[in-house]
Amino acid sequence: MVKKLYKLGLVVSLGMFLFVLFSDIHNLDRTSKNYLSEHYISEGVQETGAINLVTSVLYDYRAFDTLGEATVLLTAATILAFLVPVTKADMLGTTFTIIVYQATKYLIPFIAVLGVYVIMFGHLSPGGGFVGGVVMALIPILLSLTYGIDFSEYKLTPNTKKVVEDIGAIGFILLGLLAVLTGNNFLANGQAGFPLGNAGELISAGLIPYLNVMIGIKVGAGLAIIFNSLMKEQ
Amino acid sequence: MDMIVTLLMIFLLVTAFFMVFTKQTANAVIAFPIFGSILVVLFVIFQAPSVAMAEAVITAGLATGFFVITFNKTKDSRKE
Repeated sequence: MVKKLYKLGLVVSLGMFLFVLFSDIHNLDRTSKNYLSEHYISEGVQETGAINLVTSVLYDYRAFDTLGEATVLLTAATILAFLVPVTKADMLGTTFTIIVYQATKYLIPFIAVLGVYVIMFGHLSPGGGFVGGVVMALIPILLSLTYGIDFSEYKLTPNTKKVVEDIGAIGFILLGLLAVLTGNNFLANGQAGFPLGNAGELISAGLIPYLNVMIGIKVGAGLAIIFNSLMKEQ
Repeated sequence: MDMIVTLLMIFLLVTAFFMVFTKQTANAVIAFPIFGSILVVLFVIFQAPSVAMAEAVITAGLATGFFVITFNKTKDSRKE
């Protein structure tokens, strides 16, 4: 009884806290404090070349924060792969019928095409590097779930995934350093004079598509490493 | 449209409370993607397709996979 009341109280207090927080945010002074978001909305397409404003904030105005998020994922994947030094793989205690195996086989090409599309069109349509990377990471995860972890690691060895993740992490920083070479800030895109192209075309927006690709392969490989490390057992 | 939003919000509350107060962990694990799917529909209605995509892929897909694997690997300590 006391435990139930405790849980109920926790939920109610969280709800009250969120209500106060959101009502405060909602009642902020509207005219004076949101010049920054108005600048993003009105000038974002001209300054960055990306139609998708979320991507233009994530990979141009606030690209350094994206580097921080990617570093968090890299650290988690590295430490998990380091802490689980087990070579013997353990299957889940489940066997599937042939329907599951065949469906997985025919599903994987579609998942791959969807992931590549979401990554490549990150600056034109909803999506972007993180979502596309997670979609790409579902391929080795599906392989480990249905065919077993041995087959998955035979097809995509852990060393390959580690190398791909490092290529993504280092490539992001090198692309950021390109702007430094031209005499501008780290990860500058439009200000550094990279050709922005026509807004709305596939190859436009300067560095943003390449940053998307780097983040995509980094997130995909990192999540696959985390999943396989968690599945292994002694 | 307003009625649909209200209904979805009520379902969101119901699934959230169900996840917290259910006795068995398996029920909470399976209620989690339902919560995520309702949230995806709400995000699409409120015209935030990028967030909806991230929510659909990460919450309803990946996190549920992690939870199912963890649930499979661990034992309920109260039953022993």
